[in-house]
Amino acid sequence: MASVQTEAKDAIRISNLVKRFGDFTAIPDLSLSVPPGSFLVLVGPSGCGKSTLLRMLAGLDEPTRGEIAFMGKTVSSGAGGVVADPRERNAGLVFQSYALWPHMTVAGNIGWPLKVANWDNAAREARIDEVLKMLGISALRDRYPAEISGGQQQRVAIARTLAPKPAILLFDEPLSNLDAKLRIEMRSELMRIHRATGATSVYVTHDQVEAMTMATHVAVMNQGRVEQFGPPRALLERPATTFVATFLGTPPGNLLPATRQGDMLFHAGVPLAPAALAQGRDAVQLFYRAEQITMGRAPDRPVLLAEFSEAAPMAGRVMVTAAAGALRLSAIVDHFPDTRPGDPIEFALSGAPDAVFATTGERIE
Amino acid sequence: MPLSDTAAPSGRRRLNTRGLVPLLMILIVGVLVLAPLLRILLATLTPSGLEAWSAILASPMSLNLWWRPLMNTLILGLGVSAGCLLLGGFTAWLVVMTDVPGRRILGVMHTLPFMIPSFAAALAWGTLFRNSRMGGSSGFFEANGFIIPDWLAWGIVPVLIVLIAHYYSLAFTIIAAALSSVGADLVEAAQMTGARRPRIFFGIVLPVVTPALVSAASLTLAGAVANFAAPALLGLPVRMQTLSTRLFGMIEIGQAERGFVLALLLIAVSGVFLFLSDRLVSGRRAFVTVTGKGGRTRRFTLGKWRWPLFVAGFGLAIVTTVVPVVVLIASSLAPQSGALFSNWTLHFWIGEGGGQIAQGTAGIFRNPVLIEALFNTLKLGLVVALISMVLGLALAHTITRNKGTVLANILSQLAFLPLLIPSIAFAAAYIALFGAPFGPLPSLYGTFTLLVIAAAAHNLPYAVQAGRSVLGQIATDLEESARLTGAGPLRRMWAIIFPLAIRGLLAGAILVFVKMVRDLSLVVLLFSATSPVLSMVAYRYAAEGFMQFANAITVLILVICLAASLIAQALQARVQKWKE
Repeated sequence: MASVQTEAKDAIRISNLVKRFGDFTAIPDLSLSVPPGSFLVLVGPSGCGKSTLLRMLAGLDEPTRGEIAFMGKTVSSGAGGVVADPRERNAGLVFQSYALWPHMTVAGNIGWPLKVANWDNAAREARIDEVLKMLGISALRDRYPAEISGGQQQRVAIARTLAPKPAILLFDEPLSNLDAKLRIEMRSELMRIHRATGATSVYVTHDQVEAMTMATHVAVMNQGRVEQFGPPRALLERPATTFVATFLGTPPGNLLPATRQGDMLFHAGVPLAPAALAQGRDAVQLFYRAEQITMGRAPDRPVLLAEFSEAAPMAGRVMVTAAAGALRLSAIVDHFPDTRPGDPIEFALSGAPDAVFATTGERIE
Repeated sequence: MPLSDTAAPSGRRRLNTRGLVPLLMILIVGVLVLAPLLRILLATLTPSGLEAWSAILASPMSLNLWWRPLMNTLILGLGVSAGCLLLGGFTAWLVVMTDVPGRRILGVMHTLPFMIPSFAAALAWGTLFRNSRMGGSSGFFEANGFIIPDWLAWGIVPVLIVLIAHYYSLAFTIIAAALSSVGADLVEAAQMTGARRPRIFFGIVLPVVTPALVSAASLTLAGAVANFAAPALLGLPVRMQTLSTRLFGMIEIGQAERGFVLALLLIAVSGVFLFLSDRLVSGRRAFVTVTGKGGRTRRFTLGKWRWPLFVAGFGLAIVTTVVPVVVLIASSLAPQSGALFSNWTLHFWIGEGGGQIAQGTAGIFRNPVLIEALFNTLKLGLVVALISMVLGLALAHTITRNKGTVLANILSQLAFLPLLIPSIAFAAAYIALFGAPFGPLPSLYGTFTLLVIAAAAHNLPYAVQAGRSVLGQIATDLEESARLTGAGPLRRMWAIIFPLAIRGLLAGAILVFVKMVRDLSLVVLLFSATSPVLSMVAYRYAAEGFMQFANAITVLILVICLAASLIAQALQARVQKWKE
C-alpha cells in the first residue's frame, strides 16, 4: 500500500474523509489538520458526527473513503482499506463511560495495556506508580473500579490511557458524567496533563465552554461538516456561519432577520443598518452580541419591543432574555430589571451589527 | 411533656402492627419450609433413624446404598455442569458476541429446551435409542437395523446427554445475560491497547463473565444432582442408581428412615456445591460491571466461519427442542416404534380398548384415570399458582416494608431456602412432617392437600421473586401521586396498583403453573392413587413399557404448558395496552 505523503509537521491530517452507515451519511466530506502538541476540540450538538470522527481516529471504525494520517503516516484509508493496528497508531482513547475493566484493580487497569505492549515487570510497576502520582490517585492503587467514586474512575481512565505514553490522546466527552464543580477541576487537570505530556490531543464535547477554554484549535461541527475551524478566539470574534455565531459564546448572540427597504435594512418595521451591508441582497440576518443590547429607550438608537422572560445574574452583570415573536433575544445589562415575566420591555441596539449573514447562513460582512 | 405523650402511643402501635406481621409471616414460612427440614432431621435421630444412618454409611450395604449412587450423582452433576458450560457458553457467545446470521431466532431457540421437561427428553431418547435388552419393543434405530450398544441405550451416558440437552439452555440464559452486559466500551478499550482478539477474550471478556459462569455451573450442577426423571427412566432399568432414585426407592418400599437419611445427604451434596460457588463469587470479586452508555455490544466478525457456526448453533437447537417434540408426537401416533412416520393412528389417544394394539389398552382419553389426572393436574397447577402468588406478594411486601430489619432478613433467607433443596428431598421432608398426624392436623400423606402445601412451599422463592419485581415496578411515588388526587385506598388499589402489578403477577403465576404441570420429582413421592397427576401417569406408563401412552401424555403436558404461556402473553397484551 503506497501511503500518501503528508507534510510531517501535521500530527493529525484528515483528508476527504467520508463515513456512511448503510444509506445514512454521517460525514459527507471532511478535511482537517493540526500541528503536533495542539489540543483540538471537536464541538457540536449531539448527532453532528463528532464521536463518529473520534472513533475513526481511534481506529474503532473504518472510514468509507478518505484518509487519516498520524505524524505523516497513513493509519486509516477508506479506499485502500488500511486500518493500522492500534499499536502502530500510538493513540489512546478515554471513553465517556470510562470503560474500566471491572475485574481488575486500579493498578491492574493501568498495567494491562503495558502488559499487552510487552513492558517488563519493573518498568511497568514504575510507570503505574508514575501515572498514579501524576493524577494524584496513588492511594487507590489496589481498589476495584466499583469501589471508587465517579471522579476517581475518571482519573483512573485517564491514567490508563496515559500509561503507554501515546503520541495522540483522544477524549470522548470525558467530563460529561461529572458534576459541575468536578468538571471545572478536571478541566484544568486535563490541560495540565496536556502541557506535561505534550501529546497531541483530540477532545470531543458538546459543551462550548469546555471547547473555548481548553482548545488550541476548535472545529465546530454540524451535520457531519466542519462549520468552522480555527483558534477559539478567531471563532468567537469572526464566526463564519450563523450556526457558529449562535452556538458559541455565553450568552448567545442575537440573530435578527432583516429586509431591505430603500437604503436601510428593516427588522420588524424598525430600520437597523444601512442597506449597503447586505451587498445587494434583499434579505439578510444581522448579528448583534448580547453586550450590544441595553434595556430601555436610548436617543438615536433602534429600539425593539419584546416580552420579558427571565433574568439571570452572570459575573456581576445580569443576562436578560426576552421574546419578540418567535425570536429569543438576550442582553447583558448592569442591573436587575424591575419587571415580571410577560411584561413588555424595550431593547435598544447600539452600534453596527457585529456581523451580517446571508439567509443561507454564511457570513457576508 | 407533650412530646412523650404523643410518642408513647405511636411507639406501641409500631410494635403492634409493624412487628406482628413479619412475625406472623415468619411463622407461616417456618411451618412451610423449616419445620419439614427439622422434622426430617429429627426423624433420623430416633433409634431406628440412627440405624438407617449406619446402614447407609457404614454397613456392607453402604456401597450400594450410598457410595455407588453418590458416584453416579457426582459424575452426573460434574459432567452435566461441564457440558452445559461448554454448550451454553458457546451458544451464548455465538448469539451475543458475534455476527452469526439469525442471532435473534437462535437466541429464542436456545431458551426453549429448559421449557421442555427433562422426562420428555428422556422419553424421546428412549423412543429412539432403547434396545431390546430390557425386553419390550425396541427403539427406532434398533428396529431399523442399527445396533445400539447398551451404554448408548441405558445408563449414565444417555442420562448425561439428556440432562445436558435440558440444562444447557439454563446456562445459556445466564451467560448470555452476563455477556450482553459486557459493554462495547470495555472491549474497545482493550482494542485500543493493541491487544489481539484471543487476548481480549481471555483477558477481559472471560474474567468479566466469570461470576455468571460460576453460577451457571453451580445451578446446572444442582439441577442435575437433584434430577429424578432422567435417571429413573434411563438408568433404573439397568440398576444405575443416583441419590434421588435411591431415595425414591427407599420410600417406595417403606424404608422411610433410610429414605430420609438419603434425602439429608442429597441436600448436603447439593448444598456443598452451591455454597462453594457462592464463596467463589462473593466478596470483592463479585464486581458489578460499570456499564457505559446504552447496551451496545461489540460483535466479532466471524468471516468464513459465519455459516458453519450458524449450522452448529441451529443444529443444536433443533436437536434439543424440535427433535424430542417431533419424536414424542410421532411415537404417540405410530403403532410400531420402528416406523415412527407410518401407519399413524389415533389409537393411543382415543382408541377403544380390547383390540390388537397395545395389549388391548384403551387410548389415553378413554382412560378414566387419565381424565381424572388431567383435571387434577390443572387443579394442582391453578391452586398452587394462586396460593404461591398470594403468599409471594404478601412476603415480598412484608420484606420490602421492613427492609433492613432482622425480621425481614430472616424472612427473605427462609423464603429462598427451598431453592437450595432438591425437590425430591423436599418431598421426603414433607412426608416426614405430615406423614403422621401433626398437631391438630390429621395425617396428610397421600392427599391432594399435602401436594398443594408442599408445592406452594417449594415454589416460594419464585413467588417471592415475582412479588418483589411486581412491587419494584410500582414506585411509591406512583401511589402517592394517586393519593394526592384524593383517591381512596380501594380506588388506588384498583386503578393504579392492580393494572401495574397484573403483568408481573400473571408472569409469576404462569411460571409456577407450568413448573407444577410438568413436575415429576416433587409429585413422585407425594402423589397417591386418589390424586393422580399427568406426569406421574406418564411415568407409570413408561415404567411399564407402554411408551406410546407415556409419550402421548407428555405431548399433552407440553400442549398445556405451551397454551398457558400463550394465554399469559395474550392476557398481558390485553391488560397492558400501553406496552408496545
